Formats: sequence, structure tokens, C-alpha cells
Amino acid sequence: MSQHETYLLDRCDLENSHTLEVYSEHSAKNRAADCQSGYPTLERILRTKQDVKAVVEEIKDSGLRGRGGAGFPSGLKMSFMPDPSKDPRPRFLAVNADESEPGTCKDRVLLREDPHGLLEGILIACYAMSAGTAYIYVRGEYRLEYQRVKDALAEARAAGLVGKNILGSGFDCEVWMHQGAGAYICGEETGLMESLEGKRGHPRPKPPFPAGSGLWGNPTTVNNVETLFNLPFILDRGATWYRGMGTDKSPGNILVGISGHVAKPGVYEVPLGIPARTIIEDIAGGVWKNRKMLAWFPGGSSTGLLPANTIDTAMDHDSIKAAGSMLGTGAMIVLDETTSIVHISRVLARFYDHESCGQCSQCREGTQWLHQILSRMDDGRGRLEDIELLSSLASGMAPGKTICALADAAAIPTHALIKNFRTALEAAASQVDGAKAAAVPSTVTEPAKSVEASA
Amino acid sequence: MTKIFIDGREVEADPKQPLVHALHKEGEDVPTYCYHPGLSPVGSCRICQVEVKQGDMPARVVVACRTPVSEGMQVFANSPKAHEVRRECLEFLLKNHPLDCPICDKAGECDLQDFSFNEGQSFSRTVEPRRKLDKRKSLGDVILLDEERCILCSRCVRFMEEVPKTPQLTVSGLAARSTISTFMDRPLTGNYQGNLADVCPVGALTLKSFRFQARVWNLKPTASTCGECSRGCSVIHEVLRSDELKRTRPRENQQVNGWWMCDTGRFAIDKHELEGRLTGAHLHGNHGLKATKTEEALELASNMLALHGPPVIVASPWLTQEEGTLLVELAQSLGTKAHFFSPAANGLADDLLHTGDPAPNRRGLTELGLEPIESEALLESLMEAKSALLVGERIIDLIGEDQLQTLPAALRLIICDLKSVSAPALNACFGIHSCVERRGTWINVDGQRGRISMCRPAPAGTLELENLLRSLTSGTRAPASA
Repeated sequence: MSQHETYLLDRCDLENSHTLEVYSEHSAKNRAADCQSGYPTLERILRTKQDVKAVVEEIKDSGLRGRGGAGFPSGLKMSFMPDPSKDPRPRFLAVNADESEPGTCKDRVLLREDPHGLLEGILIACYAMSAGTAYIYVRGEYRLEYQRVKDALAEARAAGLVGKNILGSGFDCEVWMHQGAGAYICGEETGLMESLEGKRGHPRPKPPFPAGSGLWGNPTTVNNVETLFNLPFILDRGATWYRGMGTDKSPGNILVGISGHVAKPGVYEVPLGIPARTIIEDIAGGVWKNRKMLAWFPGGSSTGLLPANTIDTAMDHDSIKAAGSMLGTGAMIVLDETTSIVHISRVLARFYDHESCGQCSQCREGTQWLHQILSRMDDGRGRLEDIELLSSLASGMAPGKTICALADAAAIPTHALIKNFRTALEAAASQVDGAKAAAVPSTVTEPAKSVEASA
Repeated sequence: MTKIFIDGREVEADPKQPLVHALHKEGEDVPTYCYHPGLSPVGSCRICQVEVKQGDMPARVVVACRTPVSEGMQVFANSPKAHEVRRECLEFLLKNHPLDCPICDKAGECDLQDFSFNEGQSFSRTVEPRRKLDKRKSLGDVILLDEERCILCSRCVRFMEEVPKTPQLTVSGLAARSTISTFMDRPLTGNYQGNLADVCPVGALTLKSFRFQARVWNLKPTASTCGECSRGCSVIHEVLRSDELKRTRPRENQQVNGWWMCDTGRFAIDKHELEGRLTGAHLHGNHGLKATKTEEALELASNMLALHGPPVIVASPWLTQEEGTLLVELAQSLGTKAHFFSPAANGLADDLLHTGDPAPNRRGLTELGLEPIESEALLESLMEAKSALLVGERIIDLIGEDQLQTLPAALRLIICDLKSVSAPALNACFGIHSCVERRGTWINVDGQRGRISMCRPAPAGTLELENLLRSLTSGTRAPASA
């Protein structure tokens, strides 16, 4: 087990960690001697009337990058909110707890075991952005997590930590809960806002960006649960402390939800930049059943599948990108040597085919098409030309050709798949089941013949 | 205005409009499906992609319908990259399209078909089964939905939300399982459903009444004006085989109707049927009406009006300005005033287009000095008059056949209309051209002039009202000197 400082999951093992009582006892290191409330860091900020800009600066200095997948600098995102003195519109924080990426399960732990950590983070973020209202959008399937956050919210409200005039400081902040209905696309920030407004979760074209026109056309910031969860620690212990962990460009610790063919799957806290090998072999106990590793997803199903020989890559945004994938949500999925690459690709393609919102032509039709081709290959009805077709379709879908990144999430890993596992795909395509293959016509590709084709 | 460069050409663009507007204005054939100038842009179909370069930034591909124009912007609408991304997008759109153009009513005016010819490839790379969905889903009395043809551009959804402001349609289902539907499959309501067939860029939403009626390339379009209310929407009448009026659709006119028209006007083609039309001149004899030479009938009519005057002269509000002017002259020569029949509001008024006033040229005739007269007052004066001239299409229906029958036989009644009526008072009648068979001008409720045009030849033997009025005027002057 690698030795490193932890903070994110420290409270989770305590008994009744989800209660305000346990939280207030174990939360801040630098608390005022006469700290009365359950949220010491928030209390210190409110009491000292810390400048809003200073809070944002501290977060900027920490180098915290968003934990929802894109890794955008969080402090910078906060500073995109318009100046409240010039823009009188109401301002919102939307908390993205719609964790639905296949493989990702890290926010679930925080919501379930440490909801007060999230609430304190939300209140600090709202203070920093002068937002008066926060909405927590919880994934529909997270029943227990929803209940835990709801109970925590009730506790906090009763303790005067949420609502009007928090701790007598004059700072008002309302927090509301919203339960999703199980659509992956509602985890996309603009889809989430549409859903919060009571509409279908169809992502909005950007610009306008949420900071300019978000919920009901007002300035809004959407943050991931883990991102907000980091804030009380940063404000408590300081940006310098935070920068002591992780790498220069990706500081701090990250929650890695490792799943698949490992001995000890689970959610672990690691510093960014730790080699993937350490996580897989030391922390998660290596590949199960004494098998060899075949491949791994570094950060959920939307990140490119990497071959086993890349596991010495450091787990940070830039290193993984250089290796041809993305850090994403840090949801590692490990596949052993017995896995069919084509089958796993088919399963994931089915997910995107099912979850595309259906607005953009390329995504709606492309995700279905990818799924159909991979299913055919998996069923022994593949053709060698399907590999080029997959590649060409993926290029037609992404990057940046659609309103949101769902098409990118479906298409870009296809490129990695072809690049890293072409042999496996070719093998699947040529292991043709004769009878089934006869039913698949060859594509008309020569324009000379195509004049009479009905396309 | 903002200065931009389209493929190197410097052009002026309206900064309030998206880039695609400037491209279309400059004649660039950039395809659009989800974009409609009369609806909010959503940028979801992604077909209008072009390359854009601003400042020192590298050129990037954007959707023209969601991109604002900015000073000095370089647009490459026809670069190889722009064509490539549009071709890619089109291939996805055609992935599940049934390609049943040979039996599709939209064929010939289908955006998907047109752009496939311009941008697409002539072969398909898909071997997968296409989506099987409902090809005949009724959305009420007016519209039929073919779910397989639908490309989910959501123009229809936005039309219902934004134009008549009666949101009734939605996209339901996710991904490739999405379909257009109404809540609980309830039928659509409202007076603007027909526009859905116009805004649909493909053959998904079609008019039930126009299904399998004609191939659109066989239709002869004529620009005209709708006569179903005083809005006077600009329309296009389309005629098959020289005289079958098959379809009326709106013509863009920002001063009057935008891109839209109501169903009352759209389906008024039924009112222009040729059956039962009165042709030529008829005089009342011992055995009812008898066809007579026009000159003979005109002479008799003018004598009657001149000798048994002053006559009551009432025009139909369908009279054009040109006809109205002649009628005023006729009335002056007879020493009387011309009126026009003022029909009561028909209760169809809405906030969008329909004014509820069925008189298309009320304002124009008023400006000419004709006085409106309502049903009751008209009947009263007819009871007392010695002679009367009722002129213009639908005048019989406006006054009512029953009412005309009650008029005393002593009244010398002359009618010019599309049909005749059996009334004891009737002395002469003339069959005239309808508003789809003659040219002229109406002035709408806001003072906008609308031209009506000859969309089909008038039935043989029907008479031109302008000529009739001129002859009556000269005829009434003649007896005085005789």
C-alpha cells in the first residue's frame, strides 16, 4: 500500500459519519477556539468576513481542477461568474451529483458517508460566487444517497447553517434537492440545468455559457460533488498545503473508483500523478484470479481504452492525455486477458446508443450505428471494412461537432480502440460465422456501381 | 451592419441575425433543417456547418445557425472541409431515413432530398436494418406523421410553442428511439396546424388533404392573396392540370403574415370548386331564368337601374379596388351611393393572423368611399327600393338565399355572383370570375396592399366584373340621351 496523505475519505470510516455531530467534531484542523457551529471553515470565513475575491483566489491558487471529468480549473470557473455589483440577476450553484458514467462510483461514497462535507463545500462555493441558491441534482438511482443528503440538509437547516442569515453573518443561502430520473445526459451541465428547470434534459448549445445564462437565464455554475468537497479542506488548510499533494498541474488527491477484474475493487483516495500500476497492483490487489491484464480504462467508459503496457502512466490529467486517453472521473476499469475487446466495446456502445439525447444528428444516428456495427462484429458477422467504417463514423461524430460532449464520449474512445486493439478487431472481423455473414451485404463503395444503388 | 467575408467576398450582414441568414441572403446554398428563420435556432441538426476564421485563431467548423456574425469574420461556406463535414452529417441523417421518395408527397420540395443531391454521396455505407416506426400516425384532422421519415429537427415542436403559442408537440424517447408525439396521443387542435407541413423539412408531417393528390413538380404556383379574412395573407395557390386548385400555402411577407397562414385560409380551396358555377347572363322569364346574350341582358339591366332608380347598390367585400372604383362611378351616374356588405365577425379571431372579419377588402372599399351596410339595414332598404344591384362573389351567401327569397317581386333585382338564386325579385343575373380567376388589389386591415392573381383560367362563359360594370355605367348614361 503506498503511503500518502489522505483527507477526502478520512471521515468516511467513522461511525455515523453522515451526521452533523460527527462531522463538526472531525472537520476542520484550523478551527476557532470558540467555534460553535458544525461547519468550522464556513464559520471562520463568515466571522472574519473574508473577502469573496480572496476565497476565489485561494481556490485558484490551490490549482484545484474539476473532478467531473473535464478537469477544468475550478477557481477560474468561479471567476467567470459576472460581478454581482454590475449584474443584479439571481445567481445559482448547481451541484452535479448525477454520477452515471459507467465505472464511476466515487461521488456515491461522499454523498452517502459524508454529506455534510459536501454541504459545507456548497456553502463556501455559494459564498465565493455570491450565489443565493444551490441545487443538488442527485442521480435517480441513488436512493440512500439522496436520503442521506436530504437528512443532512435538514440537520444543517435546523442548525442555522442553511437558509437566511447564516450564523448571523447576513449571508443567505438556500439549498434544494432534486432527484434525477435516470438519464445519463442529465449529468451534462446544460442538460442538468434543463432538467432542473423541469424540461427534457436536452443539452443547450454553448455559448451562452452557464456563467452568463444558466438556470432560468441567470448566472450559474455547475460543479461536481468531489470538486465542492475539496473546498472546505483548501480553505481550512490553505492552497500551499493542497499543492503539496499531486502534481504541479494537477494538485491534490483524487478519488479513484476502480472496478473490473481486480482483486479489491472499490473507491480509493490517491494523489494525482500516482502511477496507475500502484493503484492497480498495490492498492486494488492486482488483476484477479492470477490472470494477466489486457487493457484498462483510466477514467470511465468515455475515456479511451489503453493496453496493459501503459499502466506505468501517471494518473494525472496531462500524463493520461499524452498516453492517448483522458483522466475523466478517475474511474478505472481493468480488463483481464480473458475479456473480449469487441464484446466490451459493444456493451459500452449500447450504453451510448441508449443514452444519447437524440438532438444532434451525428450523435443520435452515430451512437446507434457504432452499436450496430460492434454488435455485428461481436456476433461473428463482422467484415474487415467495418474497422475503417468505425473509424470514419467516429471522425464524423467528433470532436466538437455536436452540442454536447456525449458524441465525443462515444466516438473518441473508438479511435483509441482501433489504434490500440486493431488486431483484436481484425481477428473478430475475420472469425466470420459463414452462414451469418452471408446475410450481411458488402457495402457499395465504388461510385461507379452506385449510380443504380438506391442510396 | 457588420462587414464579413464569405469565401473572400466582402458582404454586409445583419448583426441581429445568425450567420446562416447572411449566407442565405448572399445566395449561398448552405442547407438547414432545424433552422427556420421564423423559429428560434437550436443548432441541433448540425447540417449548416461552415468554416469560420476570426482574427489569428485557426479556422474552425461551426453551425451557421447558432453563430453570430462579427466584424471581419472570414466564412468559408464552400471549402473542402465545409463540404466534408456537411456530407458526414448528411450520411448520419440518412442512416435511418426510409428513402421512400418515390411515394413521398414531399418529394420535389424536400430539403433532405435536395441537399442529398447537392452534398451527399450516391451510395450508402450502412448495411444495418433501418428504424421501423409508425408510418401513418394521425395527429388530428389536418396532419399525418410518418415517424420513419422524421429527422427530429424539432421545427414542428418549436412552431407550436412559439408561433400559435399552443405547445402540443414534443420529442419523446431518447436517442434513435425519439419520435414526435402529442401528450397521450391527443389530436392536435388550433387553426394553424397546416403550417406544420410547411415547416417540416422532410416528408414526415404531411397534410391529410394533400396526401397522394399531386406530385409537386406538376403543380403550377401563382402568388396571390388569401381572401378568408381582412388580414389578407400572402399565399401561393397551386394548380394541377391547368384548373384543379390543389393546395394553398403561405408566401413569406414580413409586413403581413411572416411565413404562416391559418387553416381557414389554407383549406378555403374547397370554396373555389368549379361545380355549379353560373356562366353568362340570365334573365328572368315566364319559366324561370333563361340564358340570354350578355349585351341584351346588360342593356335591360342598365335600363332597369336607370328608370327605376335610385337603385340600392351593394358590393361584396371581395370586390377589388379596381372593381370598387368602377362601382363608385356606376353609382354616381345613377345618382346614388354604393355600399358594401359588412359581414359580422365570425369568431375565428386570434392574436396571430386571423382578424375574425371575413371581409378581405373592407379597408380598401371604405377608402374608396363605399359605405358598409349590415344585413338588417340592407334588407330594410331592399324592401323599399324599386331596383337593386348586388355585386361580387359570395354576395348571395352573405345576404342569405332565404332572405333574398323574401324580397317583394316588385323589386327589380340584379345580381352578379358565382351562382344564382331562385327569388321572385330576381330579374337578371351574371356569372362572374372568382378571386382565384381574376387580377386585382385588396387592402388589408393594416393598409397593406395585396395582389390577387389569376391562378386558373375562369370557367368558359363567366364574365369579367370590371367589363360588366363599365357596360352598366355606359348603358345607364345612354337612356338619358336616348
